[in-house]
Amino acid sequence: MQILTKNNFNSWKIAQNLTPKNIIKKVSDSGLRGRGGANFLTGKKWELSYPAQYLIVNSDESEPGRFKDKFILEKNPELVIEGIAIAMRATNAKTTYIYLREEYKEYKKSLEKIVKKINLNVSVIVGAGSYICGEETAILNSLEGLRPESRKKPPYPSEFGLFGKKTVINNLETIARIPLVFSDSFDKDLLLFSISGDVEKPGVYELKEGIKLFELLSLVGSHDSKAIFFGASGGCIKTDKNISLSYENINKMGGFFETGIIVVDKSKSIPDMCRSIIQFFNEENCGKCVPCREGNFRLLQLFQVILKRRWKKEEFEIIKNLALHIPYGSQCALGESSTLHLQTALKYFKNEFDSLIF
Amino acid sequence: MKITINNKTYNIKKELTILEACKLSGIKIPTLCYHPDLIPEGRCGICAVLVNGKFMTSCNNKIKDGMNIVTTSKEILEYRKSIIQLIGCNFEKEEEFRKWLQLENLPDVKELKFKPQKSEKIDNSCHDIVMDFEKCIQCGRCIQKCRNLQTVNAISYSKRANATRVGKALDKKLAYTDCVGCGQCTLVCPTGAIREKENIEDIKKILKDKSKYVVVQTAPSVRVSLGEEFGMPAGTIVTRKMVSALRKIGFKKVFDTDFGADLTIIEEATELVERLKKKKNLPLITSCCPAWVNFAETFYPEFIKNLSSCKSPHQMLGAIIKNYFAKEEKIDPKNIVVVSIMPCTAKKYESCRKEMEVNNNKDVDYVLTIREFAKLIKNFNIDFVNLKEEKFDNPLGESSGAGAIFAASGGVMESAIRTAHFLLTNKELKNIEFVEARGSSGIKSTKVKIGNTVLRLGIIHTLKNARTILEELKVHKNKYDFIEIMACPSGCIGGGGQPKTTTGETIKKRIAAIYKHEKTLKFRQSHNNPQIQKLYKEFLGSPASKISHKLLHTSYSDKSKCSIKHG
Repeated sequence: MQILTKNNFNSWKIAQNLTPKNIIKKVSDSGLRGRGGANFLTGKKWELSYPAQYLIVNSDESEPGRFKDKFILEKNPELVIEGIAIAMRATNAKTTYIYLREEYKEYKKSLEKIVKKINLNVSVIVGAGSYICGEETAILNSLEGLRPESRKKPPYPSEFGLFGKKTVINNLETIARIPLVFSDSFDKDLLLFSISGDVEKPGVYELKEGIKLFELLSLVGSHDSKAIFFGASGGCIKTDKNISLSYENINKMGGFFETGIIVVDKSKSIPDMCRSIIQFFNEENCGKCVPCREGNFRLLQLFQVILKRRWKKEEFEIIKNLALHIPYGSQCALGESSTLHLQTALKYFKNEFDSLIF
Repeated sequence: MKITINNKTYNIKKELTILEACKLSGIKIPTLCYHPDLIPEGRCGICAVLVNGKFMTSCNNKIKDGMNIVTTSKEILEYRKSIIQLIGCNFEKEEEFRKWLQLENLPDVKELKFKPQKSEKIDNSCHDIVMDFEKCIQCGRCIQKCRNLQTVNAISYSKRANATRVGKALDKKLAYTDCVGCGQCTLVCPTGAIREKENIEDIKKILKDKSKYVVVQTAPSVRVSLGEEFGMPAGTIVTRKMVSALRKIGFKKVFDTDFGADLTIIEEATELVERLKKKKNLPLITSCCPAWVNFAETFYPEFIKNLSSCKSPHQMLGAIIKNYFAKEEKIDPKNIVVVSIMPCTAKKYESCRKEMEVNNNKDVDYVLTIREFAKLIKNFNIDFVNLKEEKFDNPLGESSGAGAIFAASGGVMESAIRTAHFLLTNKELKNIEFVEARGSSGIKSTKVKIGNTVLRLGIIHTLKNARTILEELKVHKNKYDFIEIMACPSGCIGGGGQPKTTTGETIKKRIAAIYKHEKTLKFRQSHNNPQIQKLYKEFLGSPASKISHKLLHTSYSDKSKCSIKHG
């Protein structure tokens, strides 16, 4: 795994002799893209925010089924700190905040110990356990001591970020891959996949974007899968062994490529999976927008019905409407993607839903 | 910018939101959480329209060149129905919900598909504000007012996701928070979940009690905004219809708080002159605004010594009614009930303060907001618009222009300067219209020359600005001689007890009406009001006399450490 490279701050030594412009160019040329999910060119992001005041390393990893940040924090935190040092030089950021999800607070100390090696202003902040703080504008609110709600974009954080200053927000894996950009063997397509669900060997795998689904499934030991879910927010697809797992491809299929992959086998019910996901969003949305807040609550009520009886036709109509309408009026990516699982499930597993209607 | 709305092309020069651009082009988009005076946050989602084929909330997204906006289609209609279902069940009263649907041209839904969620019961721990969470739809307008306009932060969102509620710190009762009772939240609440504590039933009951002599007084700003409650345009002066309505309701005497304002000016100008002479407790800061007084007691107790000891105009008039008028009319003060009609919610608490009693008798027994007053008029089936016109009762009904302009921010300052000039120089101020004190700016500082002294004046409205100026005063102690602070935007004219039609625009119209009204008055200075002169001659003696101190002055105390701040 490239992510486990023991680099001993060698790239940092090289970067210290480069101008910020040249570092940004190197990162841009490498083709490295953000690993948070938006798949945006990292070099471009840095360029847009130059000169930035703050760098935020987002490790509020709370997407169900995603645990790659934990893997990095545990196995190779040096690479993260080295990446930060390079990023601070490239973006001109004077202060860095590493934002850890509350459940990762045990890594705070080890990170702080490594920070001492680079003598830069880097603090580790532990969140208070809110899913929405993984969203890049909600993280700003959280760091400013405000209620964690998403902010209106534009203005983007690159223009008006933390405390109103230009801010770069990068995912932890993105930052950890920065030192690797300086090596000849760097491969821009390598991603960390977190695999869980009905598999024999769950865990974190470093694989190429575009890998065929059958390759992945045989690697993790899954024999009887019918669906894979991309986290909670990325929707699901039917297990078709020839699908290649890439951002573009999954997007075409109506989902969103999340590297937290949950494999579901034939013994499970898809509507049941959807109910769990709805329950998750009903508890984890920020409460700001009516469609997302009230909509997910009503969806949950409707999905609890099937524990006792079948749906009436009009109830199923409401479900379909809400799945469609909740994203329309919501202000942030969470609201917009909170019913993607339902939309895709209704598309690929309609028969399972039909069998639950009177 | 060229944009297309519903297949028609418009050329819009200004940077507007989609909602504003549509409104300008005569196209209505339904809204709920949107309010023209607040920052649009897009919480409710009802205003979403199709922009280049994608849904987008129109209140908080700006137009861009070449945008193709569609505001009505089958898809949008279906979407709106979903949102109506989601919001509708949270309206406590279905009639209110239907009223909203009608107002916004929304499709009528025959039945609501969802059952309302249970929530916390009514919080009526305060004398002024009631929070009724069952009606709350979490639009967040009140929070914006409390946080951004007043920097009080008594209410905020609590919990998250579906449990999100407009709540108070640590789930305390409102009386235990830092709430100052300004009532700005009640002005913008679309469902009445936050409202004033109503005293309408008390009034109806007391009016039936034959042993009581019930009198009423009306604040300066009531006459220019009450009409709005009856569909009249903002700024319509309805003084005499208002008096007539009050008599019809059954009040024995109808007095004018403007008279009390004149009295306040005499006492306060005298106090100013005295403090200037002694160079003590300067700057003098006005205390007519009860929400500001609460704010000072809670957040800035170190400035309590700077507050004027004068009671506010309606409290002064109440004390005069019960101690002077009662004597003249040979009525037992214990049997007189004084009701004040105020543009304010905090006055309700003020009237209950122990500091506002003379011989264990409250100066003012009940305070009604303008909204309550309008309800009362409707309760009595009075055709307000077509009422005949009547005059205030005398004595205590005559007032000067100085009393009238108390309604707007800067008015107390302007009036006090007119009288202070006379007190210091024995001459009338030449240019009595003190333009520097007027205008909508939140912090105005100016100077005025009286004889050989130059007075440095500050005129502040909203508590956010008060905070700014007080923080400045902590550093530069000697920056001002006299400061007027009003908690509400533009003063009482934008008060928390005003009709819900209050916006930046209506406030401007009301202010224009007040200054127009002032010009028509015979006397423009408080000290020239003949009835005031008579009152001093016959009863009070001189300003700041022993008896006026007993009746017209009071004191305040540090409440920063009290658990109950006001309630």
